[in-house]
Amino acid sequence: MTNALEIVILGLSHRTAPLDVRERLAVSPDDLSERLRQLRQLPGVAETALLSTCNRVEIYAAVSDRATAFSSLQGHLNLQVAPIAGHRDAQHLIEPHLYRRHGRAAIHHLFRVASSLDSMVVGEPQILGQVKDAFKNGTDAGTTGPTLDGCFARAFRVARRIRRETGIGTQTVSVSSVAVDLVRRVFAGFTGRKVLVVGVGEMSALAARAMAGEGATIVIANRTRANAEALAQAHGFGVADFDDLDAALAGADVVITSTGSRQPILDRARLQRVQRARRFSPIVIVDIAVPRDVEPAASEIEGVFLWDIDDLQKETALHLEGRMREAEQAETVIEEEVLRFLGAVRGQAVGPTIKALRDRFSELGRAHVERARARAGITDPRVSVEFERMADSLINELLHAPQVALKKAAAVDDGDALAGAVQRLFDLPAQGEPLEPDDDDDDDDDDDAEAKNTP
Amino acid sequence: MNPAALALAQIGAYGLASGLYLGLFLGGGPRLAVWGRYIFLLGFAAHLADIGIGCFDARHPLSSTSEVLSFVGWLLASGFLLASVRNRLATTGAFAAPTVLVFVLLARVLPDAGVRVGGGGLATLHILLSATGEALFALAAVLSLLYIVQERRLKRKDFTGLRDGPASLETLDRLSRQCVLIGFPIFTLAITTGAVLVASLGLLRTGSDIRAEYLFAVVSWFSYGTLIIARRTAGWQGRRAAWLTVSGFAAALLVLVGYFLRHLS
Repeated sequence: MTNALEIVILGLSHRTAPLDVRERLAVSPDDLSERLRQLRQLPGVAETALLSTCNRVEIYAAVSDRATAFSSLQGHLNLQVAPIAGHRDAQHLIEPHLYRRHGRAAIHHLFRVASSLDSMVVGEPQILGQVKDAFKNGTDAGTTGPTLDGCFARAFRVARRIRRETGIGTQTVSVSSVAVDLVRRVFAGFTGRKVLVVGVGEMSALAARAMAGEGATIVIANRTRANAEALAQAHGFGVADFDDLDAALAGADVVITSTGSRQPILDRARLQRVQRARRFSPIVIVDIAVPRDVEPAASEIEGVFLWDIDDLQKETALHLEGRMREAEQAETVIEEEVLRFLGAVRGQAVGPTIKALRDRFSELGRAHVERARARAGITDPRVSVEFERMADSLINELLHAPQVALKKAAAVDDGDALAGAVQRLFDLPAQGEPLEPDDDDDDDDDDDAEAKNTP
Repeated sequence: MNPAALALAQIGAYGLASGLYLGLFLGGGPRLAVWGRYIFLLGFAAHLADIGIGCFDARHPLSSTSEVLSFVGWLLASGFLLASVRNRLATTGAFAAPTVLVFVLLARVLPDAGVRVGGGGLATLHILLSATGEALFALAAVLSLLYIVQERRLKRKDFTGLRDGPASLETLDRLSRQCVLIGFPIFTLAITTGAVLVASLGLLRTGSDIRAEYLFAVVSWFSYGTLIIARRTAGWQGRRAAWLTVSGFAAALLVLVGYFLRHLS
């Protein structure tokens, strides 16, 4: 007899809990191993992994008794908050924000999380690495086992499939990354490119850092030179003379402007002059200042590619829309993969029944062949072998249809009933429960919690 | 394999790939690029098989006007695929695939004529060099056309078809320049062998059509020569270089048209 485990999740995320609740439950890397060991020792918990990011804290567990496990897992979370909130208030503080998932819903949730469909910025790539780390931490601490191993391994495959088959991760969704993306439409890469940052705004510094990360050389020019030097020193950038901006422009491939000037600092005439000196070679100007630093008419000059903050924000919004469209397609893939995974798990669950059935028939076949041989006084080994072959062939033919029926029933969630019937009909030993039982009985409560707290 | 079936496979595949690439160019999803590439490759394989079978069937690529046209199309397809190996040139397919399709269709639609010029090996060399030069200039023109369209889109802040990471303007400019740099000496040799051929056969005295053809060849040669020098000395790049590349190809195309008119008349 085997004892199948059920996968459960207890947690909260940016969808259900505000930051001040999430941060109270966040687990530091130093405490992770100890926490995993504590979780593993809770009643009903056989395997466990813990995912703690800035947007979610989730306990994944394979449990033998769902009710006991949920109760003990929540008790564990209450204990984490108790030193800050007090024992009485701890439960009230986190309970409204918690969601519980089990069986199919838990697998579905894990697949969505790993595939970045449940992320704050849908499609962001970091979450897959974080889920992998969570699983690895569990493996290193010795708290995972075959049930979680199979489920997480499938979740990683699903996430990769979604990245491969949908465009969910192809479009950038922050203003600075969109700026980098647009520059790539003009230049093949950033290696060896010179980026001139005019002004020391936060957004321009972000864009400059992103470009420096791609291999560009950054030079900062600012009316107050000391501010430029401070920023340059903090990030390892160079400094250019603001009063000799034309010279800096002549040597730049990309310009990011974000000064607080009320008037354009780069007008058409100035850029025309600069471009003539540059032999009209391409220059990308990203103007993220409000009011704008560059006269819009400058975009008509040959070789000048000018984009302002509105252009970047429109493009960012379009990218987000694109991601949401791709996310719909990804949800279909998730549904398909959950069914496939459950089919495989349930197929494994009827395996012992099929094996027991075959063993019972083989045993009967061998006994009957032996009796027939004794009664007929057969001593010729060739005849004996023929008898055995005939018995095997008969058993195979007899059992083919029941085996197929059991596997098919398992795939459509009806395997337990049929396996039970087969066990009773042929007096086989009971084979235990399937790994993934039905799941929809108390999910409504979880959804309520989510609905109440989703911004 | 039946040559008619191979021809149909080429036309079908190149036609379908053209549609898919055009869909991508007009803002369709990235899957169009993947399918366009697979189907273009199918057309290319059928094209190669057709040329290969033709060689065993006394229809080598330089044996007739049809075969020359088909061969120029195949060279262009090869160049496009080769350039696509290391660059994201799916949107270029919106120009390259239809151009290849036009060459293949012309090869099938125009009445065929055997290459009747004398001159033996020299004539064969001349046709081979001309076909290769024309194919490289065609590819350069395709890349330059895409440059012009893509640059206009970027300037107008219309990012349609630019969201799936197509080749940058710099890459298009570089590839176009490389095509011209390789094609120019080949085309120079083609013009030289053509001049020797025309002189040896005394065609300058008798054929006025060949004088026009030669004039277009020289105009084209000057365009590309000017482009190479302007790139080197005056730092020409981008839009100006792209327009000159397209103009040079227009003249080179007239040479091809003249050649076929002469052989079909």
